[in-house]
Formats: sequence, C-alpha cells, structure tokens
Amino acid sequence: MLDFFTIFSKGGLVLWCFQGVRGPAATAPVNALIRSVLLQERGGNNSFTHEALTLKYKLDNQFELVFVVGFQKILTLTYVDKLIDDVHKEFRDKYRNEFQQKGALGLLNGTFDFKDDFMRLLRDAEESSRVRAPTVMKTFEQSLKSQKTVKCMIETRGEKPKEKVKNKKNKGSKKEGTEAAAAPSKASGGDKQPSAAGDKEELTKDEILQKNREEFFRRHMKAGEKSKSPKPDAQKEKGKKPRVWDLGNSNAKVLDYSNSATNGSAEACPVEEFDPDMALGDKNREPGRLYDLEYESEDEAEEEKVVQNTSKPSVKKGGLGGMFGMLKGLVGSKSLTREDMDPVLEKMKDHLIAKNVAAEIAVQLCESVAKKLEGKVMGTFTTVTSTVKQALQEALVQILQPQRRVDVLRDVMDAQRHRRPYVVTFCGVNGVGKSTNLAKISFWLIENGFSVLIAACDTFRAGAVEQLRTHTRRLNALHPPESHGGRTMVQLYEKGYGKDAAGIAMEAISYARNQGFDVVLVDTAGRMQDNAPLMTALAKLIAVNAPDLVLFVGEALVGNEAVDQLVKFNKALADHSMAQTPRLIDGIVLTKFDTIDDKVGAAISMTYITSKPIVFVGTGQTYCDLRSLNAKAVVAALMKA
Amino acid sequence: MAGGLEPDLAALRRELSGPAVFSVLIALIAVAVTFLIWRFVQGRRSSRKAVLLLGLCDAGKTLLFARLLSGRYRDTQTSITDSSATYRVSRDKGTNVTLIDLPGHESLRLQFLERFKAAARAIVFVVDSVAFQREVKDVAEFLYQVLVDGTVLKNAPALLIACNKQDVTMAKSAKLIQQQLEKELNTLRVTRSAAPTSLDSSGGPAQLGKKGKDFDFSQLPMKVEFVECSARGSKGEEGDADLEGLEKWLLKVA
Repeated sequence: MLDFFTIFSKGGLVLWCFQGVRGPAATAPVNALIRSVLLQERGGNNSFTHEALTLKYKLDNQFELVFVVGFQKILTLTYVDKLIDDVHKEFRDKYRNEFQQKGALGLLNGTFDFKDDFMRLLRDAEESSRVRAPTVMKTFEQSLKSQKTVKCMIETRGEKPKEKVKNKKNKGSKKEGTEAAAAPSKASGGDKQPSAAGDKEELTKDEILQKNREEFFRRHMKAGEKSKSPKPDAQKEKGKKPRVWDLGNSNAKVLDYSNSATNGSAEACPVEEFDPDMALGDKNREPGRLYDLEYESEDEAEEEKVVQNTSKPSVKKGGLGGMFGMLKGLVGSKSLTREDMDPVLEKMKDHLIAKNVAAEIAVQLCESVAKKLEGKVMGTFTTVTSTVKQALQEALVQILQPQRRVDVLRDVMDAQRHRRPYVVTFCGVNGVGKSTNLAKISFWLIENGFSVLIAACDTFRAGAVEQLRTHTRRLNALHPPESHGGRTMVQLYEKGYGKDAAGIAMEAISYARNQGFDVVLVDTAGRMQDNAPLMTALAKLIAVNAPDLVLFVGEALVGNEAVDQLVKFNKALADHSMAQTPRLIDGIVLTKFDTIDDKVGAAISMTYITSKPIVFVGTGQTYCDLRSLNAKAVVAALMKA
Repeated sequence: MAGGLEPDLAALRRELSGPAVFSVLIALIAVAVTFLIWRFVQGRRSSRKAVLLLGLCDAGKTLLFARLLSGRYRDTQTSITDSSATYRVSRDKGTNVTLIDLPGHESLRLQFLERFKAAARAIVFVVDSVAFQREVKDVAEFLYQVLVDGTVLKNAPALLIACNKQDVTMAKSAKLIQQQLEKELNTLRVTRSAAPTSLDSSGGPAQLGKKGKDFDFSQLPMKVEFVECSARGSKGEEGDADLEGLEKWLLKVA
C-alpha cells in the first residue's frame, strides 16, 4: 500500500529506503517536501501532497534524522501515523550507537539493515487497522423508530401545517422503508397507514382553507394601507424641483483643464523651475548605487538582558530538588520537550505579533520552530529561552533569504542583449506608493545608464497621468539628454483616462521595442483585493502582456491585511491566466519603511506568504530613498526586546 | 607615616636581593612563556583546518563527501544541515583535514557560510557541469558572494572549482566553465556594485579583481584551480568515483 518509506539524515545521506511495489523513485517528492515545507518553515502539520502522492514525515531532532512515508493521495491509510512513530522508536533504539559515537562517519560507514524490522512493523500496523471490522448497519427492527406505534406519530389539529407537511414527507419515506422491509408486522402497519393518511389529508385541507381565509383578510387590510401611501408620494413629487448648482450647466469639456495629450514632445511641456536638491535630498551618495537599510545592532545589551531574565525565574524554584534540577538543566544534556518550549514560544509569538507580524503567520512560525526543536539535546550552559530564540532567529533569516536571484540590473542587461525591453509591472492596493516608487526605480535605472519608458496604465485615478508626467519632467531635468549622448532617458507613454489598461500596456511595449528603450515600467491603478472585476482586469493585463517582473507593492504599515492581500492577488492572477504555469507575483516592494520604527513584521508576513523576495524597500519620498533588504538587520530589529 | 614605611621598604629590598626570590622570578617567567606558546600553538592549530564543500543545490556535494570519506556510493537527498568529518589526506603522511559539507539551498547557504568561513583553510566549489549552461548566473552569483566576503578575502583560502558530473556525456569541460564564469563575474562586478551591499562590509563593496581590466581568476588573492571530477563514477554506482584530481589537490593543500 505504501509507495515508499525513507529514512535520511538532515545532512542529506539516505540511511535506509523501502520502495513499494510499483512506486517511482523517492528522491523527487522527498526533495519537494524538503524544499517547500522544511526549508520554508511550514512544518506545522506533518503531511504534504505532491502530485499524486501524500507524504507524511517526522523529524528526529536529537540524532538529526528525517522519516518520510509516501502513499497515494486517493488512499486514506489510518495506520501511517502509528507506523512512523513505531519505526522511529525502533530505528533509533537499534542504531543508537552509530549515531552517538561516530557522528557523520558512523552514518557513512554503517549499514542499516532495517528491512525485516520494517516489514514486521508494517504488518503489525496493517493488521491493527484491519482488526476493527466495518460496522454493520442496524436493521429496522433494531432501530428506535420501529418501537414507536403509528398512533403517536399522527398529528392533531392544533399544530401548524408546515410540520404536517414534513410529517407527510416522513411518512412517505417511511412507507418506502416499510415496503422494502419483508417482515409481516410491517405489512400490517403499512395497511393501517393509507387510511390514516387519508384522514390526515382531509384534515390538512380544512386547515388550508382556514389559512387562506386569514390571508385574504390580511391582504384587504394591507391594500387599504397601500392605497393611502402612494398619494402623499405623488404630492411630494409635484413639489420636487431640480436643484441648480452655482457652477451648474457645465459639462465635462469645460471642466477639463489638462492640456491635450502629448507623447514625447518636449515643447508642449515646459521645463519648470525644479530644485534638484529638494528632489535628490542626500548629496553625499554615489550615483547609481542602491544603499542598504541601516540598523544599529545592540546585540550585547540584548544578550545580557536575556541571561538575567532567565536566571531569575530559575532561582525562584525552591527546594533542594529544584536546585539540583536547575543545575542539571544548566549543565547536563537535557532534551527539549514540548512543555518546556510552550511558555517560551507563547512569549515569542506575542512578541512577534507586537512587532506587526500577521497573527496566523506568527502561530505557524512558532509551530514550525517547535517541531524543529522537539527532542533536541541542548548544549551545556544554554537555557531553553536562548535555544528557542536562536532557532527562531535562524528561521526568520531563512525566510527572508531570497529563493531566487534578485538582480534586476543583470536581467535588464540580458534583455538589452536580446534587443527587447525589460517589462516591470507594479500592482497593489490603493495608496501604497506605486507611482512614487516607480519614479524612484526609474531614477535608479537612469543613473545606471538604462533608458526608461513609463507606461501610464492607471486610467482611473484623477491626476495619475499628470503625476507621472511631472516625474518624467523632473527626471529629464536631472538627467538631460545632453549628458547621455542625446538620448532622452525617460519618456511617458499615456493615452489619457478611461481607456483599457491592458491595451495601453501592449502599445507601450511595442513602442518601446521600436524606439529602443531598455526598460518599460507599467503603473497600474490601485485596487482592493476583493474587487473581482478589477482583479480580473489586472490578471488580464498581466496574462496578455507577459511582463518580465511582476512586483507587488505593499506598505510596511499593513498588519494582518498583508496576508489577505497577497493571497487574493496571487489567486486572481492564477485563476484568470490561460497558461499552464500562470504568472504570479515575482517580487515585493516594501514601501513607507521609514514610518515604522522597528515594527518590521510586515516584511516577514509578505515573504512567508508568497515565498518571493523583497526586491526594493522604499524609505521616503525623494528619489534617493530606495534601498534593498538586509535580512540580518531586519531580523535583529525584529528580535530586539 | 613615611618613617613607618622606611624600615618595611628596607626589609623588602633585603628580601629581593636574596637568591630564593630569583628562582621565583624565573618560575614566573617560565609560566608566562609557556602560556604564550600554548596560546600561539592552539591559535594556529585550531584556526583553519577545515575544507568547505560549497555549491548550488544538486551539484553533488553530499555524494562527493560520502565518496571521499567512505569510498562507497550513497543515495542522497537535499541537505538541511551541515555534516563534518575528519578526512585522512593520505595513508602515509597522516595529516587530517576536516571536510565540511554545507547545504546548497538558497535560504541556507549564506547562513552556513557565515558560520564556517572563519575556519576555512580551503574551499571546494562544486559545479554541476551538465546543468551549468542553464545555471551559470546562479553559480556566478554564489561564487561572487563567496569571493567578496571580507573574511574570505582576508584569509585567502585556496579555492578549487570542481566541475562535477563529468560521467554524463553532455558535461561541459573545465576550460569552458572557467571562461564562462570569468565573463559572468565580469558583468556581476558592475551590477553588484550598483546594487546594495550588506551591512558587514562597511564602506562600499569589495572590488573583485583589477579595475579596468576584464576579470580573470588570476587576479584574485587566492590560488584558484579548476578540476574535473565525477562523484558517481563512470562505471555506475558499483564502481569507484573519478576523484583523482580532487584528491591530489587536497593532498597539496593539507
């Protein structure tokens, strides 16, 4: 029944493997399990589905082993959990020496001949699940209903007709039941029933007549009232007059103050007096470099506080036994149990939530850390708190490390070589800073010598196109064409308001290809994740234009909403894409990072949900406020007390 | 008061001139010298004795580790933690090095590199020669991160780039891999210096190689060699692995 059962060390060596009858090789699904569950800290529940298989696993943290069993998804095997536990215990006890004494060499050189034991355990487990025979259905005689007499089930006059209808239905089904049963007593009961049913129907007819009469009277009363109400309405309507506004009678044309749309002509847009100092802000910086977030690390102070905190409660434990227990816990090799870790994990979870990590993610993280630490042997002079904190810190750094390469410039260079523009799309909810960060990113790209076309696909929000035009003008003032060999480094492609965003994006990309632009930045309108038609429109834009990079812009102030936003955005993109592998969000831009002090939990929530990297971090509203994420600094800020 | 001290001082001076004190002084000096020597020897002995096995996921590091230590073929899965063991470099010399196999997965590799880079005497960077064409950018990025690391630049451990999986016919040769890596690292120098640096290396990213000239592995402060090997071995799982070049280099480095 099982497809495979493998036992391997956390270092990667397979110690023992059992291949089922017709199962495929075990390596691919187990690798998928490791990569998606264990390495992404989703180890809360212990089962995982991969294609047609369900994988259940168990970690042994003392000897650093992993036990994985795989079986077909359509089967529901009840004995698997028990089997894993039994195998774990047996394997550990049998090969304890190899693990304890020789370490890695023991694993390499030891032969783990476990097949006979495993077959025995498997047989026991299968038998134990088979012992409980499937329950036999009760016959009609055994049920309670057959004990009741027919008379007690006849309804009397006082009750409501609805229940009578229900009873009629029940009686109908009972009639079928009685026909199916072969006992003679049922037949006699069945003979009695039609006559009783006939009586009942007459009764109900009477009831129906009475009910109708009541309803007729009620309707008369209502009609009287209704005739009264339309009259005052009609009188009111005669009195209504259309309201006249002061500036009224003007239509949209008069109210439109914008100049006619111009694409690429510099004369129509006069270069305004623009103070580059105000826009650039920071004078001492290298052009083109993307600085990192800065955090002061106060590690030493934090560690001292931790040590003091943990020593105080341990001293309070009174009694000789308590003293010795504490000493043993401090010096000897104690293995961590769930009870030891629970209070510490609770505290860590609350701490994370206080730092603005989404609640469900904090719970899942703590669960996964608990799973990783259960049974682990602590070293000398380490407390439970410090071990748990260390493990949590490693888990957080692991989550924030990008799973794929994050090097936008390299990819732009690649696209440049293939003579096609590199398309980046910005999506997100309303007011997170898409247009602002788009301008910052285009500034950074220009400083590195790439020409940018900004596609204004936000055709809904008032002033969106003008905002981008202003940015274009400023950027051109900062980097005039003369300093870049006569080439305009940034240009705006827009078609005004009210048009289809996907169409504008497609035209912008072909325009960029013809004119030889290196990068196309597509700005979309902000939309709530629950708004189905707008999400469909966004998904269509992305599916049709196939951008190279889809960036989700999220603000660092968001709390639990981040989870909902990202899940719904990804879902919309996946649902409305026709392709086999739909384009999902490729990266995250975390904005308004300067508004949060050290409550940096939003970064964790977002990367945990999507497992995609944070590509840029926005820390202000000038062009230089673009940084990239430094995982260690963020985790240090997160773990700071 | 001063009068009270005077006779004490005189007594002290008399004591000091005695021969017993002389021996005490010699003993103290001997202890201090021994302490210093012990500290010096220990520092030198334990500081860098490790050979790290680095590389991308599925490059073959764990299998290489198993082959070097036991000579047998073992099935492997993606590593989640490091494994370390002492490896006897040759039968007669008796020198040992600690082989450390680090996980190659993206979320773990930098963490483990941080932990073990200070103890590294030599680094073996394992490259999958079959998938190299597809993965060249990722290989180059990881190699770049290893090479610009402050501790690595300071210690300059010997670097061997082991082009693994040579038993497959489509495997690229070491020469080709070297050329491609040099080209890619050349481009990476430019793009990475325009991208942010980590907080550890204060004051700008370290420059890789010489400015103005195309990047070459000979410009690095450490010795870099390329070697072809096959952890699985050309005769399949029963036969031996083809690790001669690797073993010879380990002998040289130990």
